[in-house]
Amino acid sequence: MPRILISDSTLRDGSHAISHQLNSHNISIYAAAAEAAGVPIVEIGHGNGLGASSLQLGESLISDMEMLQNARSHLVNSKLGIFVIPGFATINKDLSMAIDMGVDVVRVAAHCTEADITERHISYARQKGKEVYGVLMMSHMASKETLIEEAHKMELYGAEGVILMDSAGAYLPNDVHEKVSALVSNLTIPVGFHAHNNLGMAIANSVTAAEAGATILDGTVRGFGAGAGNTQLEVLVAVLEKMGYRTGIDLYKILDAADIAEKEMMKVIPTIKSESIVSGLAGVFSGFLKPVNRISDKYGVDPRDVFFELGRRQVVAGQEDLIIEVAMKLAQKQEEK
Amino acid sequence: MNTNKLSTIQKDCAEATSGSIHLLSKLKDECILITGGTGFMGTWLAEMVAFLNDNHSFNSKLILLSESSQNFIVKAPHLAMRDDVELIECDIRNVMEISNEVSYVLHAAANPDNRMHASDPIRTMNVIANGTDAILKASLRLPSLKNILNVSSGLIYGPQPLDLDAIAENYHGGSDCGSVASAYVEAKRFAETLCSAYRSQYKMSIVTARPFAFIGPYQLLDKPWAINNFIRDSLMGGAIRILGDGETIRSYMYPSDMAFWLLRILVDGTSGLAYNVGSPHGIALQQLAEEITHNFTIKPKIISNFAGGRDLYKSRLVPDVTLAQKSLGLSMKVDIAEAIKRTLLWYK
Repeated sequence: MPRILISDSTLRDGSHAISHQLNSHNISIYAAAAEAAGVPIVEIGHGNGLGASSLQLGESLISDMEMLQNARSHLVNSKLGIFVIPGFATINKDLSMAIDMGVDVVRVAAHCTEADITERHISYARQKGKEVYGVLMMSHMASKETLIEEAHKMELYGAEGVILMDSAGAYLPNDVHEKVSALVSNLTIPVGFHAHNNLGMAIANSVTAAEAGATILDGTVRGFGAGAGNTQLEVLVAVLEKMGYRTGIDLYKILDAADIAEKEMMKVIPTIKSESIVSGLAGVFSGFLKPVNRISDKYGVDPRDVFFELGRRQVVAGQEDLIIEVAMKLAQKQEEK
Repeated sequence: MNTNKLSTIQKDCAEATSGSIHLLSKLKDECILITGGTGFMGTWLAEMVAFLNDNHSFNSKLILLSESSQNFIVKAPHLAMRDDVELIECDIRNVMEISNEVSYVLHAAANPDNRMHASDPIRTMNVIANGTDAILKASLRLPSLKNILNVSSGLIYGPQPLDLDAIAENYHGGSDCGSVASAYVEAKRFAETLCSAYRSQYKMSIVTARPFAFIGPYQLLDKPWAINNFIRDSLMGGAIRILGDGETIRSYMYPSDMAFWLLRILVDGTSGLAYNVGSPHGIALQQLAEEITHNFTIKPKIISNFAGGRDLYKSRLVPDVTLAQKSLGLSMKVDIAEAIKRTLLWYK
């Protein structure tokens, strides 16, 4: 029976859904539940990864160190993972600290055309003996040929797998099949897929990825994540089981973990709201949802127009500053009318 | 460097040359220029020549040319301070004039680190292509030049078919020239052809070596290759992690053997021929990892990559070295178990 490595980013991507306000209790209780369920990798941190807590991206309630320390104390068989975007996370200040805290898995991410920036972080984590993966974010923005080239670079830097991230929830199953199978045939390392649910395709896309040869899939319980949320992990586990894949996760216990997470962490369970559909169609990072809504409200413009304009400008994570500019221009146009 | 380490190197060189000193006798009283002279390969070649001078009165002079020799001075002060070793700092692409006393040129300037090839493929190709052209042009003017050894790469054959036991020099595979990962390999192929062109047009004596994989002292454990990672992780007290199912096959030669082989090819290799340099004894990565664990009282764990839903990629890279063995009388003195043991001792 084929195996799928599940990486659970509830305590990382989920952080976006509550403006990065995860507290120690949330982390303790969910890490323990994930450990009990046999989740292979539990990813922890600010939504944008290690070192990303800032005024611009949102400040975490507790420090990276506290989060990792806390999670580490509850994870024995499950591996402790972190998400790292070079630039937000520096090697000396952040990555070395995380490794000292006992992190097992390091995922180094870059915009899908910028794998070059991951070399030092991947090399460093490999030198420290950690399991390292490369992540290509916003992968809907690049052709399969470009993705192969960028993924290949990550492989050469030492990544032990490459994950395509559908950061905007913009993929349809055909896109997933085309790109994942292209990577599978051209890389010598495992390929993974990380879906978002803007167009309601997260489970379908994850399953398509597995059928196209991906062996690593990401998810979060209840789809806890930015905007419309991620692949709903407990559903994914159930579906994969039904299809004959092995995940090593105990279904009842991951269902329990989802219930716990819903009760303890989620003010609102992610649903596919109008803006999320628009952001998926526009191909804009799901993490933009809250700031787009807030800024659109402030300038009295339609957030859907803001999303489509941001999509036209092909914005990527880290360019949140542009939301204000776009909202101001739209407001100006409205006034001119 | 401490005396134990120096003594280890001395013993390695003695072992590699044992009963075969006469095979290098043409180097006596000669001046050898090594480009890329301060890297892993250059350092071992310098150790070997120093050993021959000190113990067998070869009276050879060595010029080590590299972009920067600062790391070398720190890494091997016992070599850097020798009277018979001269360090020259120069970008290989800008080499114009070589000392007239040089009679042998061993061109090994290139960085085999595939992280660099991916990050800066243009520089990778530029250094190999233009560097080779520069050194060949400069060598044209040498009045007493006897031979040039162009160090190519075992990777130029492209992927080895799994059903081919070992790659011989006459195997014509190839890499995907449209891939960024091919920058190094394609540049090395170009360099070989360029050498052939110089040989043909200027009647220069040029021989080629195609090195495969090596493990031993001076090789940095941060290099992104399986055995380096296995040894590093085991020394750090961690688990040895194997990508895939452990059935990928590699072979490894100990560097004192490598240095002896390269010098032997330099002095007596037939112009126009290429010689594989490496171990013909393939070993599966799983077996390699197990071999490493035998050196520890508390054995490191071996973990295979979990994500194995599909047929995992397997590869094989093992040279056929019959040509070097038969025509140049070469053999390997250090097997893989001993190579691992000595490498671990060096880094402990």
